Amino acid sequence: MSRSLSMEAADRRFGWLMSAPGLALLLAVVLFPVFWALFTSVHEFTLIAPNFDTFTGVDNYVTAISDPAFRHSLWLTAFFVFAVVLIEFAIGFLVALMLNSVERFKPIYYGILLCPLLMNPVIVGLIWRMFLHPSLGIVNYLLTVIGFEPVNWLGSTKIAIWTIIMVDIWHQVSFMIVLLLAGLSALPREPYEAARVDGASVFQSFFYITLPLMMPVIIVTLLIRMIFAVKTYDLIYIMTRGGPGVATDLVSYAIYRTAFVSLNIGEASAMSAILLAFILLLTGYLYRYMRTLT
Amino acid sequence: MNMLKQSLMGLALATALSTAAHAESVNILMEGVPDTEYVKALLPEFTKETGIEVNLEVVNYAEMHTKLVPQLVAPTGSYSAIVVDFYWVGEFTKAGWLQPLDDRIKADGFDTSVYVPKLMDLVGQVDGVTYMLPFYNYAMGLLYRTDLLADEQNKADYLAATGEELGPPKTWGEYLQQVKFFTKGDMKGVVNQGLRPDPIAMEWSNYLFANGGEYHDADWHATLNNPAGIAALDQYTTNVNEYGPLGSASFSFDEAFNVMAQDGAYSYITYNFFRAAIDDPSKSAVAGKVEIMPVPGQEPGVGASLNGAWGWAIPKSSPNPDAAWTFLKWVESHEIAKQRALQGGSPTRVDVFDDADVNAKYPYTGAMKDMLLTSHNFPVFTYTPQLVEVLGRELSLAVAGEKSSADALATVETEMNELAKKDGKLK
Repeated sequence: MSRSLSMEAADRRFGWLMSAPGLALLLAVVLFPVFWALFTSVHEFTLIAPNFDTFTGVDNYVTAISDPAFRHSLWLTAFFVFAVVLIEFAIGFLVALMLNSVERFKPIYYGILLCPLLMNPVIVGLIWRMFLHPSLGIVNYLLTVIGFEPVNWLGSTKIAIWTIIMVDIWHQVSFMIVLLLAGLSALPREPYEAARVDGASVFQSFFYITLPLMMPVIIVTLLIRMIFAVKTYDLIYIMTRGGPGVATDLVSYAIYRTAFVSLNIGEASAMSAILLAFILLLTGYLYRYMRTLT
Repeated sequence: MNMLKQSLMGLALATALSTAAHAESVNILMEGVPDTEYVKALLPEFTKETGIEVNLEVVNYAEMHTKLVPQLVAPTGSYSAIVVDFYWVGEFTKAGWLQPLDDRIKADGFDTSVYVPKLMDLVGQVDGVTYMLPFYNYAMGLLYRTDLLADEQNKADYLAATGEELGPPKTWGEYLQQVKFFTKGDMKGVVNQGLRPDPIAMEWSNYLFANGGEYHDADWHATLNNPAGIAALDQYTTNVNEYGPLGSASFSFDEAFNVMAQDGAYSYITYNFFRAAIDDPSKSAVAGKVEIMPVPGQEPGVGASLNGAWGWAIPKSSPNPDAAWTFLKWVESHEIAKQRALQGGSPTRVDVFDDADVNAKYPYTGAMKDMLLTSHNFPVFTYTPQLVEVLGRELSLAVAGEKSSADALATVETEMNELAKKDGKLK
């Protein structure tokens, strides 16, 4: 008995020893920057005077929260994330279901679908900015050919955010498709065969078998996509710079401006910490929900 | 064994020699603009004269500040010399990132009196200390269509409509009248660069100066929310929404330039380097039909152009400041500055502006000089980039109809006063 216990302890030690380099690396590249940012957020740290001489406590947090522009950015980001994740999920799940039942030319469909995802967001922004040029772009040209009025895609405060959402969907929907398709292909066949024997319709199979079995994959997919969407910065920088007015001023771009235009790293770190807290809360909630499902 | 030893020694010697041969090299971060290309074309001459290699790292404007700051903060950075946009002058000098050049200028007898004084104020001296040598200027001017002005039908229609002769506008009021007159069907009177923050902030500054406004008084109190400022913003909003092409509220300068170059507008207030570009038939459908002039002011002969420029500087973190100074002296010598101007570069020295060869090749050089001499400077202080951000946001809100001109300018005034106070400019 004592021999097996000591072997178990030795195994555990060996396990820790093998994991140590990986854990050390993880600490260095993930936890250290996070703690450094948190430490910076309670100091007056600017790039003009990059030192930790002045402890400010929660001042940077208060300044950020009391700034109406930052609060606007947070709300706008929440709306943006909700819209892109929901629409991308709806389209992604539909396409994944269709592809799952396809037998021929699957690799070709995959190739086409993956093209936008492989493109750099900066390139995506530049291409779409050209396509959507109000007077010289191809989109408005095609609209006028079929009798519609040209649209002010990026210059109207009412339309600009939807244009960004549309471009983001074009770029990222394949990510949803690929993850959901992987989940669908891994589902067991037996429940479907049993349901068919019992005379279940396609819709019944979908709602009573596919959806419940897919739930953990769906939650993880939504979670990953949501975190990526919160960080959207490149498209805004290339396409609108937050304008017209403040119509597309997402929070990541606002943080970038505070850090690299205002050079106020302390306040930018506080803004990032606030954003991180929201993301952690949401992640925690979704993770717990996923655990109840499994 | 002996052979191995000999080989290793040979290799060490070759490495040492090659290191010695390339010991002197100057690294510079520059923006990807035509003036950088003109410098690049002349670099072999410098290496031939001095034996110093020059490595230019050319990046997009948006990346420059982000790349520069970590190098400037470090005790020893990787850039021997840098180019500084006028936006950053206050910030870089306040942070103590630039080396004063006065001792070097005095020791080598380098003449800085040849520079246009306004440029020395903008990207040369700060509080009496010389930190930079002006590199090239990008003052803004009015690009306008000469063929439309010369058209007989247009002349007759304009006379009938306004009772005035049609010609290059002598005053701001006349220009606004022409913008309205030329807006017919697909042809627009003006194209604007309404993207926030810098395109709109820089362009609107010309409107402010044209209405007789300024950013601040002698004590650095902001002076924007007044009749001149409000008129300037009302006119800008009208031009974007009524006399400009659809979507110009989100145009950067390249998109606005394309509209002008593709025969879409009568006029465009923009950077002087577009004057050469508009005559390039590969980019422009109106080559030979466009001229540039200073943005007109309230009275004939009063210019309202916004000044803009880059300066050469040596950072305190420069690994080899002496070699960097050798390069700066060479690149800013009369001969090299003239060669750059002959390639199409934008001069900063009066002797290059007045050079007969340069004027013969580019007849609009005189207009460029006038533009510069009658131009106005944007406020240069530690927080210029933040001011541009605030200004861009508020102007964009006003153009989008989400704020009145007075409310938008009141916000800019408040925030500008706070920034000036923080910088110690406003007591």
